Amino acid sequence: MINLIVIAISAIMFALLLVWWRWPAFRAWIEAPKYSMLCQERRFDDQRDEAGNEPVVDGGHA
Amino acid sequence: MTTFAQNLSSRHNQANTRDLGALPSVEYDLVRTHVFASFVTLVISVVFGITVATKFSFPDFLGSHPWLTWGRLRYNHTQGIFFGWLGNAFLAFFYYAVPRLANRPVLSRKLGWLLFWIWNFAVILSGWVLVAAGFSQPLEWAEFPLVVAAFVVLAFILMVFEFVLPFFRARPSDMYVSGWYIIGGIIFTMLAYPVGNVVPNLVPGARGAAFSGLWIHDAVGLFVTPFAVAIAYYVIPATTRRPIFSHFLSMVGFWVLFFTYPLNGTHHYVYSAIPMAAQKGAIVASAYLGMDVILVVTNLLLSLRGSSGLASRDVPLRFVWFGVVSYLVVSLQGSVQALMPVNRFIHFTDWVIGHSHLAMIGFASFIALGGIAHMWQRIPGTRYNERMMNWSFWLLAIGLTLMVTDLTIAGLVEAQVWQSSAPWIDSVRAVGSYWLVRTLSGLPILASFVLFWTALVTGPRSETVTSAVRPVAAEEIVAFENGSAAAHEFSWTGWLSHAHVVAFGAGVGFFALSFLVLAIIPGKELEHEIKRVAPVTMATLTASEQRGRVIYGREGCAYCHTEQVRSLAADVRRFGAPTEPWETKYDYPQLWGTRRIGPDLSREFNLHTPDWQLTHLFNPRLVVRDSVMPPYPWLFNGSANQPTQEGLDLLAYLQTLGRARQLSGFDQQALASSVQPETPDMAITGEPSARATPPAVPIAMMGGYSSSAPVLHPASEPADLQEEVSRGEMLFIRNCASCHGPAGKGDGKASASLLPKPANLTAARFSDQRLSSVLWNGVAGSAMPPWRQLPTEDLRAVIAYIQSLHVPGAASSTQDMTTLDMGKSLFAANCASCHGDTGAGNGSAAGALSPAPTNFHLKKPTQERAWDVLENGVPGTAMPPWRSQLNADERHALVTFVRSLYSPAQENSTQ
Repeated sequence: MINLIVIAISAIMFALLLVWWRWPAFRAWIEAPKYSMLCQERRFDDQRDEAGNEPVVDGGHA
Repeated sequence: MTTFAQNLSSRHNQANTRDLGALPSVEYDLVRTHVFASFVTLVISVVFGITVATKFSFPDFLGSHPWLTWGRLRYNHTQGIFFGWLGNAFLAFFYYAVPRLANRPVLSRKLGWLLFWIWNFAVILSGWVLVAAGFSQPLEWAEFPLVVAAFVVLAFILMVFEFVLPFFRARPSDMYVSGWYIIGGIIFTMLAYPVGNVVPNLVPGARGAAFSGLWIHDAVGLFVTPFAVAIAYYVIPATTRRPIFSHFLSMVGFWVLFFTYPLNGTHHYVYSAIPMAAQKGAIVASAYLGMDVILVVTNLLLSLRGSSGLASRDVPLRFVWFGVVSYLVVSLQGSVQALMPVNRFIHFTDWVIGHSHLAMIGFASFIALGGIAHMWQRIPGTRYNERMMNWSFWLLAIGLTLMVTDLTIAGLVEAQVWQSSAPWIDSVRAVGSYWLVRTLSGLPILASFVLFWTALVTGPRSETVTSAVRPVAAEEIVAFENGSAAAHEFSWTGWLSHAHVVAFGAGVGFFALSFLVLAIIPGKELEHEIKRVAPVTMATLTASEQRGRVIYGREGCAYCHTEQVRSLAADVRRFGAPTEPWETKYDYPQLWGTRRIGPDLSREFNLHTPDWQLTHLFNPRLVVRDSVMPPYPWLFNGSANQPTQEGLDLLAYLQTLGRARQLSGFDQQALASSVQPETPDMAITGEPSARATPPAVPIAMMGGYSSSAPVLHPASEPADLQEEVSRGEMLFIRNCASCHGPAGKGDGKASASLLPKPANLTAARFSDQRLSSVLWNGVAGSAMPPWRQLPTEDLRAVIAYIQSLHVPGAASSTQDMTTLDMGKSLFAANCASCHGDTGAGNGSAAGALSPAPTNFHLKKPTQERAWDVLENGVPGTAMPPWRSQLNADERHALVTFVRSLYSPAQENSTQ
């Protein structure tokens, strides 16, 4: 059982590192969300600034 | 104004040929409402916790009402923190973050309000009331009754629709790590929760414990940790306005966490009857988890590079930073304490309580508070008092540090005492001051939470908070643009575009694997083992015993008393042979416990008399002066000797613990056939083998008559004797006075409900041999326990003190031969069958009597005592009153004869 756990997790780690090393495009692909998250955060802030600090989008469902 | 981020966003859109479109709506009402609910439940839960802690120092505090007893408040404390505080805080974060992360609104506002009402009223409020009323499960992190558990599962199903579906509408390749943690936490908790709550009710004992162990850890690993880490990964970049160090590492950390966390569960039952392969698997997984946390925390802290000043200025970020550091500390601590050399020492102690508070406050609560403060500043129209928030941070940090340090030291102290042969109560006495400090440390924590709440409703209304933070660095934008293009190409051309799907499948696979390797396979092994060795005579519990078991569970007894003797020499020496799986075959659910405030109860059968048990339940301090166990007066009609049916049921259950093993002669059979149980002794090298220890006579527990009791003689030198008497008095007051009274007259507080009454130590002269035997073996048939766990010098001091209590009675008035002959004749006719011809307590009937008849050569009553016994008998023993059978002259002749057996001179002798 111990061997199973060690082998499985080690294999996954090795596979991830292999992909990271082999395909540079993968690196960009996997890193992209950290930028898009910031963009999205900024969009919300901007909307809030433009709305004069009032609740602009408070709910939306009927 | 066209902002920098809008430019960035626009270019990002072009690169991804994807229109982000209008911003999704955010249910700020639900954010605010859940934040409000989180603080209401937090304050209530912390008050529960402080009350529970106070009861360690003042066990009678609020002890007369069942709703306020320690066990029920303890259940509500942890469930309140789990569901009330953290659950509501996480839900508030979901409503705030999911629209941002998924670029989609949550599914439905109405569904959100339905979820709010279910969570707070069907789960938390109902759960609290039901637990307080006595409807609960004695399962760690699953204390709310099953009817509430059903609503919890319903709530998680609703969460899937409300929060997970919006992510499914987005492309997984765009999903930020916080989104992954939210999805993973909701789905895996939804799967794990029923297993931890329902299965132990269907699968008994050791087999059920394997499942319980999984949930104990999954509650933290699949609910608390993912959502807290999601908040950390969200707040840090949102505050610093810089991307996290590595999204790749964050995803590695995410998947390894979900791969390994479910595999950790059995490390709560190291050295138990669960097959060792499962235990070792969990330990290895714990080590992996520690490595994963190092990865995650490194990534998070590197995400703060260049922003250390901001972390000190921005209070919400500081909360998160503290939580991240605590996450590292508590996780490494967890990995280390799962290791056998450490676990054997600190498990069951307050060390673990310190560990859990570091996890729930230091890690999860700090990050949740940081997340709330961060969100709150960005919710339109809210107030925010930064000064008060700052005070809240420091109060919480100080209170937590004090609490964890205190509990960690207390745990080490307890462990040290447990390794010795000192009486169990010594470990309670040793940490009394630590418990007081722990209680006091709860006050700044409570004050911190109140201040935090105040900070959210006072101060100026929220303003733009983004102006003070730096924009994304230019070089990173270029990298991002290049990366976006490459990522776009990669995501639609390579087979690894399905990596997330593959990883999700692997996560589910590991989740299933955890149940397979840690619960199902060990369960099958245990089932086979039980069938092979369980005595055929093992009886199920009677209806009364079963009801008693339910009462035992509802009052939280299992949270202070384990019902598992581990395969460790220290455990075996103190409690007896290690628990075998078959002993638990009728335990629905298991009551193994994960904490010892009081001793293990696995071998309680025949250790205490019913009158002692009832007195102990009515008020523990009547028989154990320094006990911190809560009283249970609602199980009695006003006094210890008037138990209700519930009191009798609980007594009946307590008397079943270890019964099957003792009655079956399992240990004798095992020794005779040299067939040792299969669970190996996992003691480390150098540890005395638990299995090699004779299992029948635990040195520090009751029971087990030893004919080789040493005869202890007090000092002969007057000065030394005086010193012994003084020390003996102190020991007597501490250990004996609750029954025998402070002056040794048998009139202690417990004497009213004990039968036979505790001996009046002033009414007879006891020989050294007699006192040594009683202190070594106890008095069978009475509540007098053996005290051979005390050092012999202490026993000698007690003997010296007891002998100093004796006041020689008046000399016999007449000892003429006629009276003596008459007494001799009466003794032979009426007394010798029990007391023997020579008064040595060895008559033909003596062997069947418990307590044994008095040996007048070893216990030499005064004339007054002898007369009183003949008049009234000794209630609770076979000695009847003789005043109706013998007239006064005959009784007088008997007293004269009995005293002639040792003579007035001998009465004062030491032999």
